[in-house]
Amino acid sequence: MMHELPVDRLAETAAALPHASLAGLREAGRTVLARQGFPTTKVEDWKYTDLGGVAALSRAWLAAGAPVDEPDTELVRRAQAGLDAHWIVIANGSVLEAFSDALALPGIGVATDASEFPKPHGALGGLNAALVRDPVRIRVSESLTKPLALLVADSATASAVTAQVRVNLAVDRGAAVQVFEHQVSSGDEGHYSNVLVELDLAADSRCDYVRLQQRATAHSQTARLDVRLDRDARFDYFGADLGGRLARHDLAVDIAGRGASATLNGVYVAGPGQHVDNHTRTDHRVGPATSRQEYRGVLAGRARAVWNGKAIVHAGADGTDAEQANHNLLLTEQAEVDAKPELEIYADDVKCAHGTTVGHLDERALYYLRTRGIGRQRARRILTRAFAATVVDSAPIAGLRETIGDAVEARLRDIMAEIGA
Amino acid sequence: MATEPENLEQLVNRRYKHGFVTDIASEGLPPGLDEDVVRAISAIKQEPEFLLEWRLRAYRLWREMAEPDWAHVHYPKIDYDAISYYSAPKSDKDRPKSLDEVDPKLLETYDKLGIPLHERAKLAGVAVDAVFDSVSVATTFKKKLADAGVIFCSFSEAVREHPELVRKYLGSVVPQRDNFFAALNSAVFSDGSFVYIPKGVRCPMELSTYFRINAANTGQFERTLIVADEGSHVSYLEGCTAPMRDENQLHAAVVELVALKDAEIKYSTVQNWYPGDEEGRGGIYNFVTKRGDCRGANSKISWTQVETGSAITWKYPSCILRGDNSVGEFYSVAVANNYQQADTGTKMIHIGRNTRSTIVSKGISAGKAQNAYRGLVRVMPQAEGARNHTQCDSLLIGKECGAHTFPYMEIRNPTAKVEHEATTSKISADQLFYCRQRGIAEEDAVNMIVNGFCKEVFNELPMEFAVEAQALLNVSLEGAVG
Amino acid sequence: MLDIKDLHAAIGGNEILRGLSLAVGAGEVHAIMGPNGSGKSTLAQVIAGHEDYEVTSGSVQYEGRDLLELAPEERAREGIFLGFQYPVEIPGVNNAYLLKAAVNAKRQHEGKDEIDAFEFLKLAREKMAALGMDPKFLNRGVNEGFSGGEKKRNEILQMAMLEPKLAVLDETDSGLDIDALKAVAEGVNALRSPERAIVLVTHYQRLLDYIEPDRVHVLSEGRIVRSGDKSLALELEEKGYEWVREAANA
Repeated sequence: MMHELPVDRLAETAAALPHASLAGLREAGRTVLARQGFPTTKVEDWKYTDLGGVAALSRAWLAAGAPVDEPDTELVRRAQAGLDAHWIVIANGSVLEAFSDALALPGIGVATDASEFPKPHGALGGLNAALVRDPVRIRVSESLTKPLALLVADSATASAVTAQVRVNLAVDRGAAVQVFEHQVSSGDEGHYSNVLVELDLAADSRCDYVRLQQRATAHSQTARLDVRLDRDARFDYFGADLGGRLARHDLAVDIAGRGASATLNGVYVAGPGQHVDNHTRTDHRVGPATSRQEYRGVLAGRARAVWNGKAIVHAGADGTDAEQANHNLLLTEQAEVDAKPELEIYADDVKCAHGTTVGHLDERALYYLRTRGIGRQRARRILTRAFAATVVDSAPIAGLRETIGDAVEARLRDIMAEIGA
Repeated sequence: MATEPENLEQLVNRRYKHGFVTDIASEGLPPGLDEDVVRAISAIKQEPEFLLEWRLRAYRLWREMAEPDWAHVHYPKIDYDAISYYSAPKSDKDRPKSLDEVDPKLLETYDKLGIPLHERAKLAGVAVDAVFDSVSVATTFKKKLADAGVIFCSFSEAVREHPELVRKYLGSVVPQRDNFFAALNSAVFSDGSFVYIPKGVRCPMELSTYFRINAANTGQFERTLIVADEGSHVSYLEGCTAPMRDENQLHAAVVELVALKDAEIKYSTVQNWYPGDEEGRGGIYNFVTKRGDCRGANSKISWTQVETGSAITWKYPSCILRGDNSVGEFYSVAVANNYQQADTGTKMIHIGRNTRSTIVSKGISAGKAQNAYRGLVRVMPQAEGARNHTQCDSLLIGKECGAHTFPYMEIRNPTAKVEHEATTSKISADQLFYCRQRGIAEEDAVNMIVNGFCKEVFNELPMEFAVEAQALLNVSLEGAVG
Repeated sequence: MLDIKDLHAAIGGNEILRGLSLAVGAGEVHAIMGPNGSGKSTLAQVIAGHEDYEVTSGSVQYEGRDLLELAPEERAREGIFLGFQYPVEIPGVNNAYLLKAAVNAKRQHEGKDEIDAFEFLKLAREKMAALGMDPKFLNRGVNEGFSGGEKKRNEILQMAMLEPKLAVLDETDSGLDIDALKAVAEGVNALRSPERAIVLVTHYQRLLDYIEPDRVHVLSEGRIVRSGDKSLALELEEKGYEWVREAANA
């Protein structure tokens, strides 16, 4: 099989990792991975995203003795500049204590007890468990006054690198937390990171979550955010996928308590050579509960975007109100969108709707702007930015909206310059 | 005051209206499938060599294929060796020349179904090519059609009389290797309909076939081929119903449509096969491959279906929009009650420039049924200016059923405009109470709401078919609210 | 200022304008009237430069230049304003942004500096007050969720901000109640000046009760079949378009 990883190499690599107490977790991870192998495009959830390149990179990395780059502290400093937050910085899988003031807060630290972790789930969960260096555990009992910034700053300068990131975040009853997950990377060598964040929201708790993925365009990532909501918990999410050669994000929200609500919004921008894949899954296990979703994507050049939104309303989840929307803008030829909005409904007292569109800029709006004296190129930019702005402005941490808006615009500008449009 | 009706549960339990067994002895091949069976079928039908070779090739391909498992349906494994691949009514050797010569038992059968063939054919001006089990036994209005140059006959007759047309178009839309069920059909298809509309001809009447499944353990493998030559137009009606039986019956039909330049084909189906009893026993397994090829510029293929029957429905009438400016349409009502499972939808493949497609799917789930819409809209890089609009609505009646939507959109051209919308709703107690307060009986209110929900699709059916479809829907859902 | 000679224009292969000639001088207000389908909106769109309309023959001179050579945005910067019959909604682009971008595009074209943000807001608020518009409209998406009357006022606001030399108002009166009609008319009248020309495209003479035209032209089947002073509009109102058609055919 093309997508397998050598288990003996995984074991050797794991043996050299810090925290020997995590050996059980790592072994369990290897077992799952060996059994399932890397998913191929024959697996429905990976139909449009081929992990062959990522698997090959991982095999080569293991064969080379699993080298790890020095952290790019300059990259870290740049990312931290100007943002007032409690920081946890992870570089190539290791927590950088010097940059991570949040470690001083109660309930936050590197977890070294294997029994604290649930069984690895899925091949990528297995890979994560098998090779994780510094899993981070965060327990928020009292609301934090500043956002918690989780900076993943990877680098691959000397050689190709793969890195595992695992963060487990629990928010206690009635507490509130704002999380900013920021993904950056540097270096011209290949890099593959596999990120797993688990978020458990107790009754009446609340989490505002903003994710900004700006990895170097030579780098690939698979990432997963698993969220569980208890009674009356609230989760507001916004994600922006801007970088990476291959970027896959799985966002799974499990609504396990009545009165919970989740908002999942996102934007993706992809230019030549980029493949961006967002999968969301919302499990409504009880009702009443509400979920709202809107993802918007802009593509130009030989870019490909995949969007798969799945809402499952389980038997008995009456009073579920779920909406999803996905809108895509294809700016030039050669771009491709594969969209799949799914509903699976096993209860009748529900309100579910989804809408998906794929199209180009509205010619009438372009003409209207031109009759007001605005040139064609400028008019296109204005309309493209406006298309993305309607979701960017919904980012739950208001202080980050400008940062994200600027990042989206800068990425769009770069792409348009690259394809000479 | 409780607004939930109590008497409605009884209505759920109403028996299948069209359940009975026609006592016509069948003669056929023993169960099982191998190359000899394929050769035997071909020999019985006195087919030319090319067709035997074609069947054998399909059989060999089928042997290598696995039954698909991706659909949202569950059923016990089918034993393909327990199925008889050919049966025929006794009167086969002495085929009736007109309706008067048709086995009276068959006519009686249609009467029980509420389809008085004689009367209906005359009154509605519809030519009927009735398929009873596997061999066509009655064809009417041949002359009128012949005058217009239209060929409308059983598939077997087409093989004898027009082998060049069959050879040219058979398998050109659904190749033998297309999928497991299509390959099986290609190997053992028994009979079906063939239509050829010559250049520039507008078919003078709607063409219609009623399918029946009767003999125990007899798979039905219909093969339909409709070719509309340049500038021609045809409307084709397919309807079916089946008697009650305990054994599951497999049906794997293939329908191929070819529309050349400026031609239009409208294909309407009302499907009412036995869905199984209240416990989910029995019922037809319906695995159909239907596909239309808009081969020429400005051609149009429109599928309209009302699916109320079968234990399992696996069916995706599709359009390949090859010609520039060609148009594909899919209008569907799928009802699933009790333990029925439906996985149906369409594929619209945009290849030509300025091709347009419309999908309107209305799924109704009741009882313990599972109803899934599965669709694909693909816009190829060369399909400049392609347009698609999809509307996909589900109506849930009861707490134990499921409604699912699996739309795939694969868009590779920036000038395309693709829109997909889906909603899910239920018949609310408030709506029912409101109607009852206005003096409308609960059952009528349900029918009213359901028919309103389906209106967009019914509007696409030929008039008399629409009336039948509405009535059928009401019967299918009787007592579903409770 | 505007000189149209024997203009023929088609959309999707259908010829709509069939030899239309019209001259509009600075300081003049012209009303173009005519039944539905006579080509009124086509004329407005051809002047603005809509690319779906194909000019098959004839000429359009604007201030001595060939207007047909210019892109829509160039025409706008040269001082041509089209008030749309159906202004498009542009979600996500707010009104203030559009207005400022438009004003600056013109200023840049004229070699002027960009407008100061404070000055811009002050000016926009003044103009809005005059039109009876809530300043909150500045922060809403362009025409997004606006009522018909609000859209038309918004068009007049843009015109007031852009100070065009030639304003073509396409059915600006349609769908307006009497208060909105008056507000729009006042907005237009406020712009009347010896340097500016205004072309009103309208189906009814109602608007002309509030904006007095210098010349009235009747359009039928893509041609001007009759021209006169404002009394022509009243005569038309009285006798109906059938009268014009008969007169044209006679």
